[in-house]
Amino acid sequence: MAGSIRVRSRREGEFLELKVLIEHPMENGRNRDAAGNLIPAHFIEQLALTLNSQPLVTVNMAGSVAKNPFFSFRLKQAADGDVLRVAWRDNHGAGDSAEHRIELNR
Amino acid sequence: MTCSRRNFLKTSGVLATGGLLAAGASDSRAARLAEDFATGDFAGRYASLFGDQTVSESELIQLILPEIAEDGAVVPVTISSELDGIERLYLLADKNPTPLVAEFELTPLLALHLTARIKLAESSRVTLVASREGQLLRCSRWVKVMRGGCGSG
Repeated sequence: MAGSIRVRSRREGEFLELKVLIEHPMENGRNRDAAGNLIPAHFIEQLALTLNSQPLVTVNMAGSVAKNPFFSFRLKQAADGDVLRVAWRDNHGAGDSAEHRIELNR
Repeated sequence: MTCSRRNFLKTSGVLATGGLLAAGASDSRAARLAEDFATGDFAGRYASLFGDQTVSESELIQLILPEIAEDGAVVPVTISSELDGIERLYLLADKNPTPLVAEFELTPLLALHLTARIKLAESSRVTLVASREGQLLRCSRWVKVMRGGCGSG
């Protein structure tokens, strides 16, 4: 699942806005394929963001978050070179993580 | 009774399995409780999450959703508040087969202004409950869904 995560950061007033987009089907187990068979549940259970290894926010979820989950968060303070780490795991035990270096003057 | 449900679960060891899984796969501080995200009706889930705790309606938390969602499979949500010290947010879609959509564990490093995209199975109320210093604050919005999020929830 490498490369499933895209992260952007940009200044938003006094805050730093983080945008996180994850490629994932987020199947809740109630949809059917073209042949009428149920598509098994396949969704991200947990998304964790850390800043310089400190917990920032954790999102626990079910299959009722939209396909290709997109979140944005606002950081009160950030410094150049701070490292944001984004990690997810799904109900199949798969997961991915990515690191994003914060550059305030970009 | 001062013992909260979550503390009870922690001490009773119900969290042990989930805790190990979470620790192995992510940086999360707390375990995800599978039962919180089980299918069921809204009233039952709400009762199991908040029990007999007092939940106060609050205008200090903003929950922004479109009044009319063309596509229930992708409904944008914005949650914001000027209040400090909100530790946890529960986002519930009252008519979804899985009423609890997402649970956010926040830290003071964040300013509370977050967005997400959720699925809504049908027109319904969307409810946000925020926990802050042992208090529970609630706000809700009604969303009319033109096309359901195909089996969503």
